[in-house]
Amino acid sequence: MKTRAVWLVLLIAGFAAAIGRAADERIVVFNPRGIQPEIRKIPMAPRFATLDGKTVYIVDTKYPNTKPFVEELFAALKAKYPKTTWILRDKAAGYMDDDPNLWKEIKSKNAGAIVLLGH
Amino acid sequence: MGVPTVPMITQRFKELVTTISYKKGIPNMRITYTPHPITDRPADLCRKYVAGNDPLTGQPMLEEIYAGLTKPLSAEDSKAGFLERDPRPRLLPPDTPDNLMEYFYEQGFTDGNPIILPTEKKVAEMLKATSRKPDEWVGQMRPSPPHEAWYYTVEMVAVNAVMAGAKPEYFPTILAIASKGLTSMFSSTSSFARMVVVNGPVVKEIGMNTGIGAMGPVSRANSSIGRCWTLISKNLGGSGKPGETYLGSQGNPLNYDNLCFPETEDGLPPGWNPLHVQKGFKKSDSVVSLFSGWSINDIAWYSPLPIHEVIRGWLEHFFSFGTTQATLVLDPIVAADVASKGYPSKEAFAKYLAENTGTPGWLYWSQHPNELKQAKEGVEPYAGWLKQGQGMVVPVSRYTRAGGRVSRNTAFMASKDNNEPTTSIEIVVTGGGTNTFWSGGDFGYAGSASVDQWR
Repeated sequence: MKTRAVWLVLLIAGFAAAIGRAADERIVVFNPRGIQPEIRKIPMAPRFATLDGKTVYIVDTKYPNTKPFVEELFAALKAKYPKTTWILRDKAAGYMDDDPNLWKEIKSKNAGAIVLLGH
Repeated sequence: MGVPTVPMITQRFKELVTTISYKKGIPNMRITYTPHPITDRPADLCRKYVAGNDPLTGQPMLEEIYAGLTKPLSAEDSKAGFLERDPRPRLLPPDTPDNLMEYFYEQGFTDGNPIILPTEKKVAEMLKATSRKPDEWVGQMRPSPPHEAWYYTVEMVAVNAVMAGAKPEYFPTILAIASKGLTSMFSSTSSFARMVVVNGPVVKEIGMNTGIGAMGPVSRANSSIGRCWTLISKNLGGSGKPGETYLGSQGNPLNYDNLCFPETEDGLPPGWNPLHVQKGFKKSDSVVSLFSGWSINDIAWYSPLPIHEVIRGWLEHFFSFGTTQATLVLDPIVAADVASKGYPSKEAFAKYLAENTGTPGWLYWSQHPNELKQAKEGVEPYAGWLKQGQGMVVPVSRYTRAGGRVSRNTAFMASKDNNEPTTSIEIVVTGGGTNTFWSGGDFGYAGSASVDQWR
């Protein structure tokens, strides 16, 4: 009877040790992430020495119900920097759409741009 | 653009814009932040904002904009070349299962629930379920259009399939979903949801549940295939990092398993084609069809009206973020009831619904400012409709494409393919026939893919 009890204790101890070893065992797993593309750095456009005599477009991306802010910004910039020509323009189509013609126009006039706004 | 530019962003999106400007290759973009939100703020408050400071930098807003356009660039700002990215080892450093599980949670590799660790043995077993090579490209995926796309191979999809708890036999179905390149966690503030419907012989082959609880958490195949789409979206498509690559304000619980279920093709009324046949595939093809939307209602309501009229009434007054598209998920006995009322096909029923639903006045006027202006100027028929008050149902359907008016939400969806329907109503049949219940939501069809080509 006593011998049987000793064997039982040893058996339980053996199982416990095996479980402990499994938990401590180091395994190798795959990286679940995909491949990110490379990022090509774009040099920023040279800045103006001053905005006096320059034209700056305020481009409204037309996010819903943000017009009051855009108009207040336009008015404030005109008042604070009167020697700059400020042009308020709506971007074509929706706020998620590109407007290459407008970008071309801004570039052709050697103008600056403020692009706004969402949410 | 190639000209001095200052973008203005509300302060809530600092992480987003910082991440995106880095990934677009302009890490030092000169941004001026405004208080958040700007939408629906009155002019006098906006005036105060403009006269005040950038809430993040503390600089006066107008002067910061001026400086952004005039302050000379640093040498770094003018430099071309490449920006650094984290390296991507194929295998992670060895560690204990518990530590690796914690690492997966910390890195955002999971959906917040436990995953199966993708060991070499398990991934090898998954890969045996396809004839495609492990290093073959499957597709690319991005969180939303402004974000970069990530690329992934068959092996990378297999890793995520293991993590989701999928059996190897589900793998071709998962690859078909991945091949569409549509993230299940679209990064918009509006908390998108996705849906995937499986058709064809594969449904029975892999034991998907088409019966009782088809849309619920009772089947390993339905659950793990749907769950895998979200793990793929996070790990292979770069989605799901709050503030950067996921912006859903409240989030969407449907993202956990993406409403993944098969169509009960055996339960379709005579003449009603399965979804994949509607989309141009053969009945013997196995196909996944993806949908994009936000929400779904389960309609459990007894009515003295015939069920097709109940559905019409629900559709007329249904309102959610997606107001110009709908998907009905009918139990087979509901489909049979509808068919018995004289609708020999899904298309016939969809046409009836589109032609016989109007738009609640308050919703119509809020979405049609030009027509509202004309109504106020006395132009008919708008003036007559407006006179009848906001409670009037305007006789203009939201669900027909015949007038050339397409869903305003198409920009958020994958390109449409196969057969373009004349209505924006889709009908799918699934369920166990325990009662005459059905579901409806604002989901729109976003494309299908063959499972067979990934076997």
